[in-house]
Amino acid sequence: MLQKLAILFAAFTVAICVEEKTGEIQGARLLISKQILNRYLVEGKDIEVRYSLHNIGKSPAVQVELKDNGFNSDAFEVVGGHLSTKFARIPPESNFTHVVVVRPNKYGYFNFSSAEVSYKVSDAPDAQTQVSYSSEPGEGGIVAFRDYDKKFSSHYWDWLAFALMTCPSLVIPLVLWYNSKSSYEKVSKPSKKN
Amino acid sequence: MSKSQNKGFTKEEELLLQDFSRNVSTKSSALFYGNAFIVSAVPIWLFWRIHMMEIYSSLILFVVVTALSTYLLAIAYRNTKFTLKHKIAMKREDAVTRELLKKLSDDKKMSKKEKDERILWQKNEVADFEATTYSIFHNNAIFLTIVIVASFYILRSFSPSVNYTLSIGTASGLLALLSTGTK
Repeated sequence: MLQKLAILFAAFTVAICVEEKTGEIQGARLLISKQILNRYLVEGKDIEVRYSLHNIGKSPAVQVELKDNGFNSDAFEVVGGHLSTKFARIPPESNFTHVVVVRPNKYGYFNFSSAEVSYKVSDAPDAQTQVSYSSEPGEGGIVAFRDYDKKFSSHYWDWLAFALMTCPSLVIPLVLWYNSKSSYEKVSKPSKKN
Repeated sequence: MSKSQNKGFTKEEELLLQDFSRNVSTKSSALFYGNAFIVSAVPIWLFWRIHMMEIYSSLILFVVVTALSTYLLAIAYRNTKFTLKHKIAMKREDAVTRELLKKLSDDKKMSKKEKDERILWQKNEVADFEATTYSIFHNNAIFLTIVIVASFYILRSFSPSVNYTLSIGTASGLLALLSTGTK
């Protein structure tokens, strides 16, 4: 008897779950990912941030508004794109990509938080507005430019300047010595022939 | 006592003494110290631009190490010059004599002794000049090579300040030490 009751209860739960799931997928449903595309995050160098919005629902997402408050103006400068943008419509089973280029003014650890997206779940005028959040890239270390430069720059100009600076102290004494040497060796040569 | 002895030297003896003396003239000394200072200071550029050392915060270290390196390099120049001077003097003796005799052949008033003195003086001058210039070139080249190899390969993993102190100190110290050899 108890076993029968348990089976009945399980079947009921599964039915509720299925119903909930199918119910949700009826409207638009956006999955948003926020990704930092750079391998090295460097102070004063561009960082590319990509937002991918996937509509996995059956209806289009309307009046989609993406807003990222994670990059405050003290620490970051927006070089390309916008941190808040609007898409009129994202059709079902499709995706949109938005890219922003920011440049950090400071170095140190920075917590890359999630972006906020609000959208209407269907075309209907009374459709509810859904607010969701993107994935969080998490904490990333922004390297100081001097450290990055030290590690990766080839320093061609610095080496050239160094070569120019050391040249006189090497070339001048060498030329003076060589001139004197060759002039006296010329004088002493005829004696060997004689 | 030594002063009274010095007074007794003939011109020829004084020239010979100058020839074999380790002391250098003020002009020569200024040249050595000037050169040593430039060569010791130039690597600061590398440590500032490439090893990313802060100029202002490391100013005292730069001054101290440059001063020490200048002193050691000047010693190296002087010792190398002393070692080279005799070798060069012997090599140039023939050519200097030939050249001077050719020049003085018209002057029949000049005595043989005077001519010998002129030759000795000229030989000393030539040897001094060549030894000075070669010594500066030789020591500068070795110093810069050691500094570059030490700072960019051997001491690469050390902090820039330690790297700077050790590479400059080792290069100048090694040169000063090696120059004391009699070879």
